[in-house]
Amino acid sequence: MLKNRIFKRIFTNKTSLAGFILVSFFALVALLAPLLAPAQNKNNPYQLPQKSYQIAPQPPSTQNWFGTTEQQYDLYYGVVWGTRLAFKVGVTVTFFAFLIGLFVGGTAAYFGGKVDETLMRLTDVVFAVPSLVLAMVIAAMLGPDIKNMMIALTAVAWPSYARLVRGDILSVKQRGYVTAARTLGARGPRILLRHILPNSIYPSVVVASLDIGYVVLTAASLSFLGLGAQPGTADWGQLIAMARNWVLGTAQNPFAYWYTVAAPGGAIFLFVLGWNLLGDAFRDILDPRQA
Amino acid sequence: MTARVEIKNLYKTYFRRKWLFGKGESFPVLKDVTLSLPENSVLGLVGESGCGKTTLCKVLLGIEKPTSGTVLADGKNTAEISKTVWKSLRRVMQVVYQDPYSSLDPRMNVRQVLSEPLDIHGLKKDRAERETFLKGLLASVGMSETFLDRYPHEFSGGQRQRICIARALALEPKILVADEPVSALDVSVQAQILNLLKKIKRERKISMLFVTHDFAVARFLCDEIAVMYKGRIVERAPAEEIFTRPLHPYTRALLAAVPRVDGTGFALAAGTPGAEPGRENWACPFAPRCAAATEDCRARCFELKEVSPRHWCACGAISAE
Repeated sequence: MLKNRIFKRIFTNKTSLAGFILVSFFALVALLAPLLAPAQNKNNPYQLPQKSYQIAPQPPSTQNWFGTTEQQYDLYYGVVWGTRLAFKVGVTVTFFAFLIGLFVGGTAAYFGGKVDETLMRLTDVVFAVPSLVLAMVIAAMLGPDIKNMMIALTAVAWPSYARLVRGDILSVKQRGYVTAARTLGARGPRILLRHILPNSIYPSVVVASLDIGYVVLTAASLSFLGLGAQPGTADWGQLIAMARNWVLGTAQNPFAYWYTVAAPGGAIFLFVLGWNLLGDAFRDILDPRQA
Repeated sequence: MTARVEIKNLYKTYFRRKWLFGKGESFPVLKDVTLSLPENSVLGLVGESGCGKTTLCKVLLGIEKPTSGTVLADGKNTAEISKTVWKSLRRVMQVVYQDPYSSLDPRMNVRQVLSEPLDIHGLKKDRAERETFLKGLLASVGMSETFLDRYPHEFSGGQRQRICIARALALEPKILVADEPVSALDVSVQAQILNLLKKIKRERKISMLFVTHDFAVARFLCDEIAVMYKGRIVERAPAEEIFTRPLHPYTRALLAAVPRVDGTGFALAAGTPGAEPGRENWACPFAPRCAAATEDCRARCFELKEVSPRHWCACGAISAE
């Protein structure tokens, strides 16, 4: 029933279809990364292969399809393995943020009173600081590393889920069918799992699907600022960071080194766009009033 | 005749705690309610909005705890029994709510909705047996078995209420609490649901507590009617007697307010009640709106007493005529 609806909705709507194709394309690239760009360093495939020690980037050629960036790192290799890294970061961060938010928001809504007050003020504290700034501070404290960057991103992403889940649970708790289930003799866990969660979790699922793109974008920002992936890592943000000295081109030709940002920038753009379109489709699908 | 439900001297007061300073406020909702629901009969509970009808249902169903007084449902004191006994009591006492739109989970199809009570109580586990039972259940509320795989949003209000009734009947209860089951429905649909409830009562020998604010509905379905005002029962009598010989000024006022098209209804003897200023602090809660109030009503709030056989009334100004 739900599966039919998902496919019907995605394949009949052009924008949803575009989102689905984009995300599937990236997923395929991520899965087939070892085939598309055979790992140079078997121990760490995310290590970018360096063609030579020449400084200036080289334009796309038959050897390097997307060109090379500063110090001859291959952009094609970087974009392909960067896709895998983007999925890893986006999905992991969103998953844990969702889990923490669900736990905190659920506990607050379930127990109410002082527990609710304490937990929600705590989330307000995290909310009060701009998320990018907070993520930068945490990432800087932990040191530049992909794992630390993911921790920093999770730490700033969970409060929105906590708020959303709490609000939805509180509103669903008041609905007639919850009371009805109780008068049928259902106990707390059953009501929570069968009635409250299924009816309150979907807004968060939609936000999560939109968030995957956003998390990757923030991760790229951190990497660009040198707070994420270490230099030489196949990470989209890192690739753009390496293009920093070349974005302005030469005096005669401002677009002389366009290829240094084109491939990683385009990848980030399409990845975020794909998740956004897919998130919109999920929002429509998960609304039970739409058949 | 034994009583299915016995409510004695029930009080329910809600408290609101003030934030930081000052004492909280208390809101008495039910005051000294005594009622009994005999086996195989329908007791109508009539009163205006906010008089405590729904609260009474909630206390009876154990959703709210009584402040004082006892509630005996199927012979068990609801305030004292354990969770396990309560669960078994659920099989005896079921409820149909007012709003058929919110009382069905939008993510469950009819099969899941009707299976839920069976799952909770571990009944009819055999697949074929359950399927037959669910189909029979739908048929008994006048719905086609093809509806089993549909979702609530595909149904109209009347159909949803039928599903709610079917869900309540799944446990084959002996007591059915109907909390304004037709007030959210179209008038034409109301009649169908009322006929259905009447049929169910006749076929299944169910005792029903039927809450409504509509006298015409109460007259159609109820054996006995209790009139509630501001958390008190002010009059209780067999249904026909309430209509032919209402005693309490409030009952009379309510009956006079029922719109008629044929002009054959009960004619109001006393003047129509309006606001009588300066009586807000009188002991009788109805005094501010009562045309028959006397000086007595200032100091005394009258208890419910039997003025004629099976006819109770709580008013000092009216004697059994």
